[in-house]
Amino acid sequence: MLRFGNECAMRLLIVEDNEELAKLLSEGLVAAGFAADVVGNVGDAHQVLTTKHYSAVVLDLGLPDEDGAAVLRALRLRENPIPVLVLTARSGVYDRVAGLRDGADDYLVKPFAFEELVARIQALLRRPGHLLARLLRVGNIAFDTEARQVFLDDKPQIFQAREIAVLEILMRRSGRVVPKQLVEDQLFGLSSNAGSNAVEVYVHRLRKQLTDAGANVQIHTIRGVGYLIKEANS
Amino acid sequence: MMPRFKSILSRIIFLHILVIGITAIVLPSAIYLLLNATATNLQNQTLRNHADIISQYLSLTPEGRWNLELPADLLALYAHGYNGFALSVADDSGKTLFSSLADHSQIFPSDTHAAEPVYFTSSYLHEARDAPIYYGVSIPEHRDGHTAWIQIAQNLEHPDVIVDDIVAAFLFRIGWIVIPILFLLFAIDIVIVRRAIRPIVNASKSAQAIEPSRLESRLPTSNMPSEILPLVDAINNALDRLEKGFRIQRDFTADAAHELRTPLTLLRTRIDTLPDRKIAGELRSDIEGMSRLVHQLLQIAELESFTVDPDELIDLQNIASGVVGFMAPLALAQDKNIALMGVEAPVWIRGNSDAVFQAIRNVVENAIRHTAPGTTVEVEIGKRGSVRILDRGSGIPEKDHELIFRRFWRRDRRRSGSTGLGLAIVSRIIEAHAGTITVQNRPEGGAAFVLNFNLSRESKGSV
Repeated sequence: MLRFGNECAMRLLIVEDNEELAKLLSEGLVAAGFAADVVGNVGDAHQVLTTKHYSAVVLDLGLPDEDGAAVLRALRLRENPIPVLVLTARSGVYDRVAGLRDGADDYLVKPFAFEELVARIQALLRRPGHLLARLLRVGNIAFDTEARQVFLDDKPQIFQAREIAVLEILMRRSGRVVPKQLVEDQLFGLSSNAGSNAVEVYVHRLRKQLTDAGANVQIHTIRGVGYLIKEANS
Repeated sequence: MMPRFKSILSRIIFLHILVIGITAIVLPSAIYLLLNATATNLQNQTLRNHADIISQYLSLTPEGRWNLELPADLLALYAHGYNGFALSVADDSGKTLFSSLADHSQIFPSDTHAAEPVYFTSSYLHEARDAPIYYGVSIPEHRDGHTAWIQIAQNLEHPDVIVDDIVAAFLFRIGWIVIPILFLLFAIDIVIVRRAIRPIVNASKSAQAIEPSRLESRLPTSNMPSEILPLVDAINNALDRLEKGFRIQRDFTADAAHELRTPLTLLRTRIDTLPDRKIAGELRSDIEGMSRLVHQLLQIAELESFTVDPDELIDLQNIASGVVGFMAPLALAQDKNIALMGVEAPVWIRGNSDAVFQAIRNVVENAIRHTAPGTTVEVEIGKRGSVRILDRGSGIPEKDHELIFRRFWRRDRRRSGSTGLGLAIVSRIIEAHAGTITVQNRPEGGAAFVLNFNLSRESKGSV
């Protein structure tokens, strides 16, 4: 059985001024396997971030002393690449672009689903250089990114390297659309010029192989955009 | 009545031409009249001087008879009749004492003998001598109760008489000097006026650049003429108030968003971390509906003060691709699919990317809701800045085509999941982009929404 060894070591900083919400988030994230510290204003956030090491920051933009974006700017100014997930009550056309331009890795508009928050944090931590990236799961399929091994119901499967590459990139963003261009770049790199329907060929093979093996996942084609892997609707 | 001019410059030009016209007539005429009077005066003086000299040779005998004895040089002066000067002298009885005329007659008719000097021109003279123009005087000479009239006339056409020629020539010449000067003044005036109104022209250019999205700019007040300054200040003050109004509106929506969403977030998180999954699931769908409504109401409020920066260029193809990717999981969860079609190259339009994303998203969401399970919603990009969203639902009755864009309008009020605000938001966003939105039913079934945006100037040229 494969298990994450280091999942419990992930420490998050929650910057949220609403005490009740901060407490709920902290409890929820601890229950999801993280450790979490809470601060309620920009000043405290600056201080804690310079003295302690965190895996990621959950940052509310509406803080009492200053705009939460100040924390983000200070981090990026110090060239600290720590993933930051911004929570904002402002979803307006005036705020969204500005928030991301300041260097946030992702954002969630309040109110959000708690599972979504956990999924987004995990996605941020899965980025290169983070330990959570080791094992990816969708339905009854699992993929060990280090051993580059596909499991179906925990049984190892034999797949071709190209199919594995496609599966990995899709599983890293399961439930979301992966642009076709991204799959193509992953497969062939930027230099070589693959045929225009090469990606389709590999996706088709992968799909067939997964079905033959009895996987309960489905690779959907979003025509004109890309592909999406998700657990099959029951 | 003065014609109505739109431009100050043309008004000034019109008035100036009027003034020039009047000046060109009045000024030379006045000068001519003045000069003429001076010339006449001069001639009168000359004639009187002659008369004075003649009177020295006029004597009255003790019997009361007039006697004239002219020296030879004076006789020679009057000898040629009307060639230069003519002279005649008459006594009280009307008898001619002396005449330089050939017929020995009086120059001046005796019935006009007056007590004061009388000046006359040729019309008073005998018909026989009407050809040249004469100017003359009849001066009474009183001595001891007796009167004699010395009459002297001058032929104005005689080469020696130049005063009237000078006056006549003057009128012609003054025109050559005065009229060009007037036109030069006119040209200088236009230059002066243009320079004076240049700050106003500059201010107008600045005013043109003011957009609701760029309310911080003000009209320049430097070099502004003091007559116009109050207007410019008043406009700047109005802009201050306008900017403040916009800011208050935006701040209010931002504050309202925060105040409304914080308790919703709290509630949502509490529900999501509830141990009882069944109750949590039911509560969650309630709060999702509520959150949705709050979100869309805030958007509507925000769009009240929303404007598009005319310089912002966005790639419609890229945004639509983002929407399709974003909405695909929702479609797949309902056993439906979505596809992006049409142009694959960038389509540059003028617009706000978040707003355009939101507009397409809302129409796509609507299409996914209505398309039949197992079918695909198609999003088709046109190279002229259009997005067609095609579904395979039951279509929209003709009578509802206008209604669907109204706030809170829903075809089926019992059906949950729709707030009736989505398409109203789309309509407002399209309006802010000066675009159009139309809806049609497809012959093969389902509805087709077409959103048209404005291409950027650059891409307009290449299409």
